[in-house]
Amino acid sequence: MLVLASITVLTLDYHGEVSHGITHIRNGVRDALSPVQRGISAALHPVGDVFAGAFHYGAVQSENRRLEQQLGKLQAAQAEGAFASRQAGAVLALAHLPFVANITSTPAEVISAPTSNFQYLLEIDRGTGAGVGPRMPVVSGRGLIGTVAVSSASTSTVRLVTDKSSSIGVTFGTAARAGNAIADGQGFAEPLSIQEISGPLPVLGETVFTSGTDGGAYPAGIPIARVTSVKTSAGGLTTTVNARPLVNLDTIQYVSVLEWLPQP
Amino acid sequence: MNLRSWSRLGAVALLALVVQVAVLDQLVVHGAHPEVLVLLAAAAGAVAGSQRGAMIGFVIGLVADLVLPTPYGLSALTYVLVAFAAGGVRALPGDRDGRSLQVATCIAGAAGGTLCFAVLGDLLGQPGMLDRQGAVVVLVVTVGALVLAFPSVAALRWVVQGADRSVTGHAIPSGGSATR
Repeated sequence: MLVLASITVLTLDYHGEVSHGITHIRNGVRDALSPVQRGISAALHPVGDVFAGAFHYGAVQSENRRLEQQLGKLQAAQAEGAFASRQAGAVLALAHLPFVANITSTPAEVISAPTSNFQYLLEIDRGTGAGVGPRMPVVSGRGLIGTVAVSSASTSTVRLVTDKSSSIGVTFGTAARAGNAIADGQGFAEPLSIQEISGPLPVLGETVFTSGTDGGAYPAGIPIARVTSVKTSAGGLTTTVNARPLVNLDTIQYVSVLEWLPQP
Repeated sequence: MNLRSWSRLGAVALLALVVQVAVLDQLVVHGAHPEVLVLLAAAAGAVAGSQRGAMIGFVIGLVADLVLPTPYGLSALTYVLVAFAAGGVRALPGDRDGRSLQVATCIAGAAGGTLCFAVLGDLLGQPGMLDRQGAVVVLVVTVGALVLAFPSVAALRWVVQGADRSVTGHAIPSGGSATR
């Protein structure tokens, strides 16, 4: 009988109006829990980092080495930086890149890691009250993180680009050698799978950007991932291309929600 | 189940939900975190038996579904099955009320429940439920259950005692049948 009751509840969730009511209740619970989440999350963030560090000690060490090298390079480049940034600013202003120039954004803090062990979502501390709503892209300074899936008044759930249900139209290459493809999420710690490539194959280390052509789901020009492997089968019939997200999705704490909705 | 035990169950479920969302969700190891609510469902079966356990599991599942992105009712269905199966150990010969047996059942139930959730989710078309990461999730939930099983069993004993105490006027071994 309880099994039947459970199945009935499940069926109701697929029914339009009832599903709307359930979403309303879920949003209410999220709003009620968010102050507790914020408080405890702030206190526990260092503990979470210790956990992550303990279980990824090797990765943390190599990341540390990489950052040290990067710092050295950055210091060397600092002198040229001011001039370069002036140039970049001028170029961006000319090109009107939507990622940087045209879209207003709302800063938010991550208040919870994924609530489900099977889906890759984050909870952020901005909701409809701050103008954040479903389907808005979420970015950090380095690139795309995901899309807002659900919003309550004070919180939103972000579906990460690595989630298996995530599929994004991407572009890569230069003006002379441009290609388009679809970047599919493959789950935790897995790179994005670059599928349905049209045009030349991407090269190792190349950055892929949102193309803005997948039904207008994302604005064009947001960096997403860097190509980490390009493997062609022995017969040359199939090619597997993978790309790592530019943003470290495990440790991210601050994000920006782009106030941009898919074009109808 | 009477009003006292229902209110105790409500308090335990709410506290577990807060602990899950605010604390356990942050303790991510290889993309997975411990789960206390599935553990409570298994504990319900181990402590209260199959039928009462399934009822408690259903309620805990509905509470868990409030914060999960999966279809509403998926956890409820899973937890009913977990609690019912966990209650089956009470039919085994020996000290069925022994705390160590209940804790062991709880841990096995948490692992089985996580797997069951993934299978049911996959049947409902949820993406990413059955893959390599699933094994990591089951492992992390099981290791977390080693720590959380004792307090979970204690909490469920307290809930069930609320029902038994009102029938007999004094506490009886949890899950036992009460007659005057």
